[in-house]
Formats: sequence, C-alpha cells, structure tokens
Amino acid sequence: MEPCLTESSEEGCYVALTHKHLHAQDIMDRVRSPQAGAIVLFAGTTRDNFAGKQVKELQYSAYIPMALKTMLSICTDIRVRHGLKSIAMMHRLGTVPIGEESILIAVSAPHRQAAWRAGEEALENCKKHVEVWKREEFEGEEGVWRANRDGLPGQKTTGKDEEI
Amino acid sequence: MGAIPKPPQGQFNVLYFASANSFTSKEYDTLPAPLPIGKLFDALEEKHSGIKDKILSSCLVTVNLNYVDVPNDNSEDASESSVVIQAGDEVAIIPPVSSG
Repeated sequence: MEPCLTESSEEGCYVALTHKHLHAQDIMDRVRSPQAGAIVLFAGTTRDNFAGKQVKELQYSAYIPMALKTMLSICTDIRVRHGLKSIAMMHRLGTVPIGEESILIAVSAPHRQAAWRAGEEALENCKKHVEVWKREEFEGEEGVWRANRDGLPGQKTTGKDEEI
Repeated sequence: MGAIPKPPQGQFNVLYFASANSFTSKEYDTLPAPLPIGKLFDALEEKHSGIKDKILSSCLVTVNLNYVDVPNDNSEDASESSVVIQAGDEVAIIPPVSSG
C-alpha cells in the first residue's frame, strides 16, 4: 500500500504528493506570513475533454522520490530568485474525477508583482520537469498517457500501435 | 507503484513509469551489473522487443535520482566518459512528463 501523503521541505519551501483531496485553505496557510503583502494561489483542475474528445477521469502516477526532489528544487530556486517569503506545491495522485484540483501552488511575497510572476513560473517549471504522469481515460476507448511538452495526443497505453 | 524489492546481489533495478510501464506491463526489471549506460537500451530491447523505438527514444534516464546522458550507440568515446551502472543502483526510465 502506498502512503497517502509524502512530503519534503526546507526553509520557506514545502512540497507534497497525496492521494487525498487538495484543499486551497491548507496550502495558503502553509505560506501565510506577517511579512507578506500577497499570497497567489494557483489551482489546476481536471478538464472534461481533450481536443473535443470526452474525458471520463484522469489517473496520475509519479516516481515519488524523484518528483519530490524536482519539486523542491523548483521551489527553492524560485523562492530565491523572486524574493518570496514562502512557496508550497502539492500534486494529487491516483484517480482524479473531472473538475477537481490536481495541483495547487501557493506563494507569498512582500509585494504582489513578485508573487504573480513566481506563481506562474513555478507552474510552468512543474509542468515541464516534475516526474508525474497523467493518463486520460475516455468513454469507450483505451486511455492515453499525456505528454506536456507537445500538447499532441499521447501514446496509447498498450504502446503497440500508437501515434506519438 | 508499490514497493520495489531490493535487487539481488550483483544486479540493479530499472523502474518503468507511464508509457514504459504500459509497454512492458511491468513496474521494473532486474539486470546484471555492471552495465555501461550506453548498453542499457539494447539490454532492455532484448527483454521487450520494440521498446527502443516506441518508448525509449523519447525517454530520459535517471540513476539514483540523478539524470544521466545516454550516449548514442555509435558514438566513439561513449565508454570512456559515461556512467557505468553498478549493482544496487536504482535506474529509471522517465517518459515525457505530464504533471499539472
């Protein structure tokens, strides 16, 4: 049985992977600070279609120790470069029904401009590098592993006759 | 992915995720060490015919949670500069990621 929550942290940075629901209030409280004038929160939610095809649900899997390491490295880098007070990133794993949060990122900074920029950069870096994979399950046909880098249809899960 | 057992003495595990996991229908394989990193894809092709072109060509590789370069088959100096996988190492095949 996999653990429900795995996490990692260092000064001003918190990252976690969980099979449970994500809660915006919890992650905002993790970055809250009297020295911050802004908290920016991003919530990624699961969409019901890909290129017009109806998606039933999404399945997320991860190389857990590697994903935590990459998330923490993204967060520590962004915290320093944007002068953040704090940054937190949580990704959900397992089955995520349509319309629910699959990722939350919260950043706090003395001023809003840095918080906006850092929040966006954290998400883009996460989507590019974090070792988490999403499989879209469709009604009436087999699922596909999505790849963020191209936005094109992913590989069929059998891998035998897919188009890349 | 469940807990992966430690490899037997003199061997190492290769972990499969996402499309690599679907293609092999396995979470991992165990291979004999030492193995130069440049020979890894051929060793996996022997176990899973077609994996090199269909899956591995678009994947990255980690050894003990660090990304490593996988030299081309025919690069001359590959053996001198590149990693040699040792017994007990944790190798992983990393398909294009899709977090978020």
